[in-house]
Amino acid sequence: MTSYVLRRLAQMLPVLLIASFAIFAMIYAVPGGPVAIIVGENASAEEIAEVTRKFGFDRPMIVQYFDWLSRAITGDFGLSLHSRQPVLHLIGERLPATLQLALCAILVALAIGIPVAVASAIKPQSWFDRLLSGWSALALGVPTFWLGILLILLFAVELRLLPSASRYVPLWESPVDALRSLILPAMTLGVYVSGVLGRFLRASLIGEARADYVRTARAKGVPENRVVGLHIMRNALLPFVTIVGLMMANFIGGAVVTEAVFTYPGLGRLLIQAITTRDYPLLQGCILVILVAYMLINLTVDMLYAWIDPRIEYR
Amino acid sequence: MSETLAAFGTLLRRLFARRGAALSLIFLGLVALTAIFAGLLPLDPLAQSVADSLKPPSAENWFGTDELGRDILARVVYGARTSLVTAFGAVFIAALIGVPIGLVAGFYGDWRDSILMRCIDVLLALPNILFAMALIAVLGRSQGAALIAVGIAGIPGFARIARAQVMALRQLDFVMAVRGFGGRPSYIMFRTILPNALSPLVVQAIVLASIAILLEAALAFLGVGVPPPTPSWGEMLRTGKSYLYEAPSYAVLPGLVLTLTILSFDTIGRALTALLDHDETDASGATVGGRR
Repeated sequence: MTSYVLRRLAQMLPVLLIASFAIFAMIYAVPGGPVAIIVGENASAEEIAEVTRKFGFDRPMIVQYFDWLSRAITGDFGLSLHSRQPVLHLIGERLPATLQLALCAILVALAIGIPVAVASAIKPQSWFDRLLSGWSALALGVPTFWLGILLILLFAVELRLLPSASRYVPLWESPVDALRSLILPAMTLGVYVSGVLGRFLRASLIGEARADYVRTARAKGVPENRVVGLHIMRNALLPFVTIVGLMMANFIGGAVVTEAVFTYPGLGRLLIQAITTRDYPLLQGCILVILVAYMLINLTVDMLYAWIDPRIEYR
Repeated sequence: MSETLAAFGTLLRRLFARRGAALSLIFLGLVALTAIFAGLLPLDPLAQSVADSLKPPSAENWFGTDELGRDILARVVYGARTSLVTAFGAVFIAALIGVPIGLVAGFYGDWRDSILMRCIDVLLALPNILFAMALIAVLGRSQGAALIAVGIAGIPGFARIARAQVMALRQLDFVMAVRGFGGRPSYIMFRTILPNALSPLVVQAIVLASIAILLEAALAFLGVGVPPPTPSWGEMLRTGKSYLYEAPSYAVLPGLVLTLTILSFDTIGRALTALLDHDETDASGATVGGRR
């Protein structure tokens, strides 16, 4: 297992190298590049020349890249062009907020998705199943940003129960305040993910329910809830876990959008801020951190696989 | 040609036999027609009248007016152009690049397969929206940038399906026959295998269209999509969100049209998959009667 994890981590390196180089090359390709952002619009030729020299933009791109890379490895992603603060510090401020949102959203998704899938898989093609499948289609098709707006309209504008803009309050500091801020964004993101979970878990449950071992279990008189809960569920979770891993990319995208809807101070909003202000060091840092997070989640999902199914052995 | 048309007609009839798919086709037809012939309708998406700003829906303005007094229905109709152009453009780009990659990778299956599929994996490793945003940060905001960004995000889907199809077909008799006659690899790939692998690719195109429309709207909602004053559904939701107290319909109605469009593409895509799967199981006979 340890060697498997180490090898997977090693496989992440080339992807990260290619991605970071691609981002660097794209930024380098912009006319004016970062210099134009630093000096502003009305800079004289001397100012431009001075900044170019000072920040080392006159060196060949590949030299600049390795310079950046050697510092990035030590955790130094440079300074934000706008706030002049270390990029890693800015990201570190936002990361807990995003993680807290993601965690709550996953809980919401599991709380909706698993019962929906189980209930509809018990009697496939019944009206109940059709109704619940319709729910999954709806949850997947409704854009997160529109759902968020509808929830704000209902709970903040009409009922005045919850705030329309969410703040980040750590759960352990003030659980009530934190939950008030988290409920709407977590529901928005969670409903979407529950659609994914519902659809795939249903398919996987129905497939497993036809297997021989299920008939054997029923024939020898195992109670139905044990058959579903233990025999079918455990095997159905396998393909399902893979799907969840694959869907993580959409999850991250959904989180970026959800944070924008609720003006939630997470990593996604930092990323958008970096793009709209063309803060290149910050943009680079955000993308790399999100990419690493995404890959680590995928690795975790693959390891969960081995835990759920002892037949699978990683070497 | 007439044969293809007849097959298309049959498929359309069978889609219309399903209630959900029929409703979706009608809705999409309506959206597409109003978008194409928007110029003939008495709608102006740019005419401002500040005195009439943020009006609720009425007889003159069915969807109400926005913060500059522009007719929201007109902007929804013209916004459909932005959405559909992005969707078709993106599907075109994705298919144009993705399908040949998949064909070559699956056909040869040697070092070409390894290299091409590793590139696809890197593309898959990046969350769609992240990649699109990074690209737009560099290219600047424009319709073209949004289209390219969404299109590139769709390449892996086409490449993987084309590859799987080639690998399934390349050892079949009719392909071996063309090979035996001395058909060149490019001829076998594009003229022999591709026409027989079209169905799943068409389904993928429809699925991608719904993803492209969602992605375009999301980019616009985040403020990095098609730049104003071009009407875009996502942009309308973005602005409408600031006026939730004054004019709730501003964000609700364009969002409803966007959602119905996405759901329609999704419904048609799933109905097509079901129809094609059904055909295959009928033809082979192997899986009829359930899994044993």
